[in-house]
Amino acid sequence: MNQLVSVDAAAQLIRGGAALCIAGREAALDRLPAGRWIGGTIPYFMLPEGGTVVADDRVFVADLGAIGSVSVTHVGADALADISARAPDNGFAYTILPAGSAAHARFAAEAASYPDAFLRPAVGWIAGVHLDDLGRVRPKVYDGRSATKHDDGAVVAHVSLRADQLATLEIVNLFEPDDGDVLTFDTTTFQPGSCRVNGEATSFAAYVAARGLAGGRVPLVGDFAGAHINVSLQRVDTERDVVDLYAPVFPGVEYRFARPIGDYAGAFRRRLADVDPQGVVLGCNCVLNFMHGQLEGHAIGGIGGPVTFGEIAYQLLNQTMVMVRVG
Amino acid sequence: MTVPPLHHPCWQRLAGGALSRLKTQHLGTQLMTKRLERSSQPLPLKAAEIHAFFAKWERALAAEIQQLTSL
Repeated sequence: MNQLVSVDAAAQLIRGGAALCIAGREAALDRLPAGRWIGGTIPYFMLPEGGTVVADDRVFVADLGAIGSVSVTHVGADALADISARAPDNGFAYTILPAGSAAHARFAAEAASYPDAFLRPAVGWIAGVHLDDLGRVRPKVYDGRSATKHDDGAVVAHVSLRADQLATLEIVNLFEPDDGDVLTFDTTTFQPGSCRVNGEATSFAAYVAARGLAGGRVPLVGDFAGAHINVSLQRVDTERDVVDLYAPVFPGVEYRFARPIGDYAGAFRRRLADVDPQGVVLGCNCVLNFMHGQLEGHAIGGIGGPVTFGEIAYQLLNQTMVMVRVG
Repeated sequence: MTVPPLHHPCWQRLAGGALSRLKTQHLGTQLMTKRLERSSQPLPLKAAEIHAFFAKWERALAAEIQQLTSL
């Protein structure tokens, strides 16, 4: 099950003992009873029929119990290494963090360095709010065991698989680096003031503005041993001489700006047509793809899921579709 | 091909930088490779981490494991 249901139907599933991940607006999640579930606030979803924005009457439900055996926990911002450390030997840690929280910032900077990060992988997403509520309402995550919400820390469903199964984390990133300047950064930061452009130190904000990229429609693309990992721009402040990012940049990684994308829905459809749907059990996509690509009402193929303020596949990602395949 | 034992010299070579020459499209392998490249931890620890990684994901990484001793 990966679908929108009424709040009452979700409550019934919880009372029936199902182990679930539930996403929706805060007012909807507040009405759910205690049980074996984790949740996070977000009103945006990609469904087989297209992108949609939900009201308070429906939530998106993923049946984790159909994938494996599930245990639910809440991890504080100072213990995020436990997300992987406490994960099963064979399985994954399905994780939700609230956007803008200390846990979000720490996970973004540290996740790849947690001792078990690549042995017991974390996958999941960053909870958000309706964009009209940005700055007014804090995103929340829910520990279903007590039906309590938190604006910090991580909620985690540790999913244990049968011995003959294996979980694989896959991504679809539409963005390709351009052939232009190579950018590097000297520190791990969400808010770089300076960068090196082909080795020369310069103001990052001034550089972005000069290239006409301050609108934030294209991310930086980092080269992680051949994997393209995006860092999206939140705002460019040339007066304060800083750029706010949705994920940190790291020293030792070469970045380029991405080539722009015209038709996001078409690009996703082409890429997802090449993805074997067999065994894909969970997915999420990025709210920036949803907004810049105008995906509301447009189908892209692939698995349905929440459209989020950041995606997790081992570490924090931006503007990327993430999938879990079990086979 | 099975994963070479931890005492095989390939793990030290991989930890010393040869891992970056591995041809792979596997996201976890790529991200771990970059993390180790950026890390200042001692080579034996890196070697043990790489070995543990390939031992864990042996079923999914046959093509990568085939390359390990020749990098």
